[in-house]
Amino acid sequence: MKEHEFRSCGEIILKMNCVIPGVNIKVFGRAVHSLSRIGEELYVEPLEHGLALRTVNSSRSAYACFLFAPSFFQHYDDGSGQTINGSGKEEEEGEEESIRCKIAMKSCLTVFKSVYTLEKTVERCKIKLDMNESRLIFQLHCRHGIVKTHNLAFIECETLQAVFSKDMCPNSLRASARLLCDAVQNFQNNQEEVTLIVKPDKILLKNYVEDEPDPTKVVHTELRLEPEEFDNIQVGVDSEVTFCLKEMRAILAFAEATNLPISLKFETAGRPIVFSIDSDSAFEANFVLATLADTMTQQRVSSQAESKTSQKRKYTSNSRPSVKASNKSQNSRKESDSMHVGRANKTEEQSARINEHEESRRKPNNKSPDEQGRSNRLNAALSELMNDDMDDVMLDQETREEISKQPIPPASGATSVSGRDNETDRITTGSPVPSTSRENVSPLIPLQSSKPQIFNITTEDIEMKENEEEEEEELVPGTPPSKRFRSMFFGSQASTITQSSQKALTKELSVLAEDTDDEG
Amino acid sequence: MALSTQQSNDDDQYVLLAKLDNVRHVSTILKAIHFKEIATLFASPMGLKVTVEDAKCVQANAFIQESIFHHYIIKEEQVNFKINLTVLLECLTIFGSSAVPGVSTSLKMCYAGYGCPLLLILEEDGVLTDCSIKTLEPDEVLDFNFLSTNVINKIIMKSECLKEAFSELDMTSDVLQILLSPDPPYFRLSTFGNSGSTHSDFPKDSDMVESFQCTQTQTNRYKISLLKPSVKALTLSARVSIRIDNRGFLSLQYMIKNEDGQVCFVEYYCSPDEDVDEAEH
Repeated sequence: MKEHEFRSCGEIILKMNCVIPGVNIKVFGRAVHSLSRIGEELYVEPLEHGLALRTVNSSRSAYACFLFAPSFFQHYDDGSGQTINGSGKEEEEGEEESIRCKIAMKSCLTVFKSVYTLEKTVERCKIKLDMNESRLIFQLHCRHGIVKTHNLAFIECETLQAVFSKDMCPNSLRASARLLCDAVQNFQNNQEEVTLIVKPDKILLKNYVEDEPDPTKVVHTELRLEPEEFDNIQVGVDSEVTFCLKEMRAILAFAEATNLPISLKFETAGRPIVFSIDSDSAFEANFVLATLADTMTQQRVSSQAESKTSQKRKYTSNSRPSVKASNKSQNSRKESDSMHVGRANKTEEQSARINEHEESRRKPNNKSPDEQGRSNRLNAALSELMNDDMDDVMLDQETREEISKQPIPPASGATSVSGRDNETDRITTGSPVPSTSRENVSPLIPLQSSKPQIFNITTEDIEMKENEEEEEEELVPGTPPSKRFRSMFFGSQASTITQSSQKALTKELSVLAEDTDDEG
Repeated sequence: MALSTQQSNDDDQYVLLAKLDNVRHVSTILKAIHFKEIATLFASPMGLKVTVEDAKCVQANAFIQESIFHHYIIKEEQVNFKINLTVLLECLTIFGSSAVPGVSTSLKMCYAGYGCPLLLILEEDGVLTDCSIKTLEPDEVLDFNFLSTNVINKIIMKSECLKEAFSELDMTSDVLQILLSPDPPYFRLSTFGNSGSTHSDFPKDSDMVESFQCTQTQTNRYKISLLKPSVKALTLSARVSIRIDNRGFLSLQYMIKNEDGQVCFVEYYCSPDEDVDEAEH
């Protein structure tokens, strides 16, 4: 407390202080450029284990995150008060958290406008947060002693987090950027989506033309990629995933410039595809793109999946009606989104997500016993979903103590639990080491969306959350943003709820399971 | 050059006659001040001075001294007229503006006096182009009364590092603030745009700074829209001299070297922004 007061009346309060060495400035600049091709706002979050830059596109069907590890920097201080003046450390920790903020992508882009000159002239780049002036400061120290200081206005916000998993995806490809760039070059510039088809014996990439008024009148491009050219291929489920080319190009632009291989992890249509780039320990990038939920593909895939793969992976199938329904409810979700502020979102999204699942489960139920079997698996999937969130707690929350004080939000009530799965997952995710905990995420990939949030939690917020929770369930909230992309929910809330849901899971496993069954 | 002898007999009728082997020596300099359509041309025995003004606040002068031309005759003390600079530049670059090695366009420029058109004869590889551009009644140009004795702060630096700073100027900012001071930060360019403020600091001991003569701290703001056109001159130049007088008027002098190593000067004057509210930062 004392420490805090002293600093606020005297010196400028600076949170976070990072110095990027000249050799890495190009990578950082490229990352910003790549992010700028996806979203219009840049979320900057200094974390203990690195500086996170994230963005989400306007339709929330694509999410990108760069995490620059402390080793990427010449000097790294996340501003949580743990590295500055050791004496004041303990006092600070309780009340101050690291700041999350967002800035306009455009303004950040002006800092890193020309990657070429950056590389040539910048010797180091300092990044600081000035809390007095509410400015995010980029200071470029260039050759000849020239210093360029950019004071960018920022808005404090909640963390932007897509909940996704990549490590248990049945399908995984790893290729050089070059290979994928060459492949993608063959598509026309105005091509919106491409379909990636993987089968044990072949990998195809073709342009998606089914949304054309007359598919016979457009150019069809189909590329067969030689499996030998990939660094690594793992195909667990035959699948066809359709995703936006624009975002993929953003990823490739970065990967090509940095000359790093790209890993693609995906499941089936309708489930997000994750592109990741990993540079030893210096930084990692994850791009999560929604894939198109296509009836035809879905059905085919699910039938294949049933015969071939383990039970766990089959929950993905979606029938046409459920997609429609979720699209409809998307609107209602959006409305309620805009209605509220505070920490409510995640919970709501969570329930939205779950409802969606309920729906896709319910409809099939009316149709065939086979579908019913699937609904059971869906239950398992749902429980995995909850576990997913826990990982994010580990990843992004420095405010655990604070959050755990909150009442358990009803969201967790929606969790349908199949105990066994949970048990195992919980153990793995319980690891406090963030980077590793992420590795253990379950294969369900709900992405949670929410608006940037006000930082402080008040009791009001919590109440609101509960209310909205209920509302939301009545609305049968659903999915996704643009087109027929299935929903990706991005949560700034990840931490809050996940924390509580974790608690819920540990305490009330059996009860929760019953709840959900009733609903179904 | 390949102009006939008969024509040269007619040359007597012109009050101004200039010949040049490589038209690019003139066209590049004129491009550096081409931010308005109409320019005023002053010809004197010293050479040509072309002036462009905007908003009664900024003035750009390009000096093309007599030695740039291989033939330069003027029969009067001073000849001046206004001309459409856009058209003049289009004519001068009619054979293309990019440098092709081994090929140069020669120019013969004639002006017969008040009310007459400016005649241009361009020749490249035996291809002749005749141009006749109407001249306009000359107006008075601004006199900034910028005296070197009133200069308070002056920096001469290599253009290279300023080029970047100027090309990256945040155009959402209304003003460019220039700080010159004998104390740190010595020389600072600041913009205040939508997304926040930006400062570029140039230390006086930088190897980019060739001369640093600042006597007192001065902070002045200039309309960025008025200064932005000077980037054209800046990009062409090798050195720039930045001077600010006691009234806050800004003089930017650019030294431009052409392909033959000859030196020309382009000069910008700009008046400070009136409503200077107590400058922060």
